[in-house]
Amino acid sequence: MSTDVILTTDIHEQMGVPQPRQRGKAGGFLRHTNVLTGSALGIILSVVTYAIGSKLVPWGTQNEDYSQVGLNALVGATYVAWVIGFMIGIGAFAGPVRWMMGHDITHDDSEYLAGKGQGKWKYWKYTTDHKVVGLQYLVMALVLLGFGGFFAMLIRTELGVTWSEVFDPNFYNSIVGTHGIVMIIAMIIVIAGPLGNFIMPLMIGARDMAFPRLNALSFWLLFAAVPPLLSNLLLGGIRDGWTVYQPLGTQAPIGMIGYQICIITFAFSTGIAGVNLITTIVTMRARGMTWNRVPIFVIGILAAAIMGLVWFPMFQYSQVLAFSDKVVGSSFFIPQEGGSVWLYENLFWLLGHPEVYVILVPAMAGLLELMVVFLRKPLFSYKVAVAGIAGIVGLSSVVWVHHMYLTGWAPSAGYPFMLSTELISIPFGFLVLVMLGTMWRGKVWSRLPMMTVYAVLWCNIIGGITGVYLSDVPVDQYMHGSMFVVAHFHFMLMGVGLFGAIGTITYWFPKMTGKMLNERIGSIGFWVAFFGFQVTFGSMFIAGLQGQPRRVLQFDNAFEISNWISTIGAYTIGVGMLIFLYAIITSWRIGTIAPANPWGSKTLEWQTETPVPLDNFPVLPVVTSDPYGYGVPDPYDAIERKMTDENVKVGA
Amino acid sequence: MSIVDERPTAEADEPEEPTNRPEPSYRLREWLSRPYVRHILILFVILTLAVIPAAWLVLHFMNLSGAPASAVMYEIERTMFVFTLASAPVMAITAAILLYSLLGWGRVRGEEPPMQESPAIRSNPIAIVGWISATSLLAAFLVIWGLVELANITALSNGTTSANEQPNTAKPLDINVTGQQWVWTFEYPDQQSITSDVLVVPIDVPLYFNVTSKDVIHNFWVVELGVKIDANPGAITNTGVTPNKLGNFNIRCAELCGLHHAYMETQIKVVTQDQFDAWVREMGGKKFV
Repeated sequence: MSTDVILTTDIHEQMGVPQPRQRGKAGGFLRHTNVLTGSALGIILSVVTYAIGSKLVPWGTQNEDYSQVGLNALVGATYVAWVIGFMIGIGAFAGPVRWMMGHDITHDDSEYLAGKGQGKWKYWKYTTDHKVVGLQYLVMALVLLGFGGFFAMLIRTELGVTWSEVFDPNFYNSIVGTHGIVMIIAMIIVIAGPLGNFIMPLMIGARDMAFPRLNALSFWLLFAAVPPLLSNLLLGGIRDGWTVYQPLGTQAPIGMIGYQICIITFAFSTGIAGVNLITTIVTMRARGMTWNRVPIFVIGILAAAIMGLVWFPMFQYSQVLAFSDKVVGSSFFIPQEGGSVWLYENLFWLLGHPEVYVILVPAMAGLLELMVVFLRKPLFSYKVAVAGIAGIVGLSSVVWVHHMYLTGWAPSAGYPFMLSTELISIPFGFLVLVMLGTMWRGKVWSRLPMMTVYAVLWCNIIGGITGVYLSDVPVDQYMHGSMFVVAHFHFMLMGVGLFGAIGTITYWFPKMTGKMLNERIGSIGFWVAFFGFQVTFGSMFIAGLQGQPRRVLQFDNAFEISNWISTIGAYTIGVGMLIFLYAIITSWRIGTIAPANPWGSKTLEWQTETPVPLDNFPVLPVVTSDPYGYGVPDPYDAIERKMTDENVKVGA
Repeated sequence: MSIVDERPTAEADEPEEPTNRPEPSYRLREWLSRPYVRHILILFVILTLAVIPAAWLVLHFMNLSGAPASAVMYEIERTMFVFTLASAPVMAITAAILLYSLLGWGRVRGEEPPMQESPAIRSNPIAIVGWISATSLLAAFLVIWGLVELANITALSNGTTSANEQPNTAKPLDINVTGQQWVWTFEYPDQQSITSDVLVVPIDVPLYFNVTSKDVIHNFWVVELGVKIDANPGAITNTGVTPNKLGNFNIRCAELCGLHHAYMETQIKVVTQDQFDAWVREMGGKKFV
């Protein structure tokens, strides 16, 4: 009998370690909590807070500023009450309360918390199993992408109808801002959430994440953060773009409070998730999985978690200060009262730029992970890939000022930050090299996940090269704030980030859902979206070159044609994405049952059965090599060896 | 990574360094004679040639509304042109390998994982060193070009050099630019502080802008002249330009500044010195000296 199958509980039993006593049924308080009780308590608490607060706010004062501050504070308190009420209602604080009462958690409690024997209902509860959390994240990401995509269609409708205003400026500016921040949140979670939680622990041969209850906490905090954000559209909107530069943000209606509470809450969620991911990867790898045997996707997730953990507090803090400006009338960012607009811009972009790599690195790493399977080749130079990711993590922390070249803040800062920004193209180029090297001489098994690799690589070329233009201060002096920038970052965030997410999610779809994706419909949807994407943003580059500023709802006649083309392309993306969504939903519900390892992959997550059992592996695996042992000896090597043996000399 | 892996480790697979390998030149020729290498090189050349016209296309779109109307804008366009040319080979080699992988090395279809495996190329020092040096050299070139150009346009903006790189002796014309929601106001402090909502300037005279804002952040963008700087509340930012082309050009706000951001645009009229003096007199100001 191998040592692997001795359970901790067995050892405890043999050694007579006292076990915590089971009080009542397993799960205790959490048996009664779910998303419905959470929402109910959240709504009740926020209504009560609003009712009590509106009695306390001095409406009668003559000072208009003061009454606005009072209203902001009231709305802020209401949102905070929603978040706290929801978290209490779903049972997030049951664990700490239990400890305070001196009750330890038992084995049965843990299994109940992980969702044992609860059927589909476990997806609506405070469930700690990483596979449940992963699927919750996946659905949440799809919902957010749906909202963001819908707003994008509205934006393009306004810009396509050049002869009149479809929406009033307030609504238009609000959907521009909401589209931006919803998409940013969706893109941050779309890979690190579902795949980082569901697949990564399987990939490293762990039974769960390091902190299962923090895992549930991170998801439900995100869940609580979304309603405040979306409700902004009902409360006057956030009409200041996703960046919400101050002091413009202080003028905004009360919808802005929803944005700020959302970001502050979401930052807690990412921080908790980041700690969890890092700890899991560092401490819970299977025996034998040394650092040079870790799958590259896990390295990508680790990099994203580190960047998110280090830099997200900056964004959070910027919103805490801005919130304080709104609700207590402080003046951190109000220059007329001694504040600094540049302080806000610095704090914002300190996350704002690393966040791009939080999105891109897992996407690129995930594609590297899957392309070896479809090319039946080892990964080309694992070390270069790791060096590239490490370089990106390092340099990403010193490039944020390239968003501020033309703000007038320290013009001389342009020189060092132009240097650092152009240098970051070198480690990113490492990842492209690894992609190309892995493609080199590989026979392609043409399935949808592999096809997305080509799509992403193409977008990488366009997005990367236009990024090099924008890193240059003189060029930025023309391009900054124009549609060229919009087209560039959509090529990176959508072309690389979202299409990369589509590739990785379709690849791991059979393991996560237990069903095969309908590739025929999925491919149609994907390629329609890809084609529309090229049209939309290719045309937007031209509008930018001609000098169209971004975030406008009306513009010169000179930009009409390129905007019409962009709008047609955008609708094409919308149609493609709906087809793809249809493929996902129908496959998930009625697709063919997936075998345990449909792709013939060598990574650990495919070696366990599908659907994955609660404990992931019947016996914890032991790793003896890296997961890239595909391929046959190179025939050209044999020729060369033969020549060497015969000592061929030509021209001698 | 199977649960029990019985393959020999990678280290054991490595052949010993042969002592009598063919000469490098022969190995290079052998490599170049491989069909896929030839095809990719041909594709690379074709794609490079195909991308190069994009450099002129970029300039075409930038020049549609009359740019370049200043030396600064000329430098910006030159940078765009050079960067497009420099990026053509990178784009072409990536796209060539992409296309060849998609079409050239063969495809397998089917539901089952293919039985036939591809060559196990785990690394290639020449490719890695070559790629890293090529991209680093290119990045170094772009950085150096960018730093020099930044110094150039800074000098041009400050009016310390003229377009032909001679020290500039002309007296600059000060203009106070004020952004507010959602109009631009231009004040000429040396012309008895006349104000206008259209920027009228004489040709070939260095302009010096003191830019500020009354409420939120705006961005003062003189499109065809390549001038762009934020107008911050509570601070004055400076930039400058010397227009060298007569005509009417666009001024736009390039930073979201509230509801009617889209309509915050006006014009710059570059006129001759005589016309400018006449305009100043008409506005009630004193002749510009």
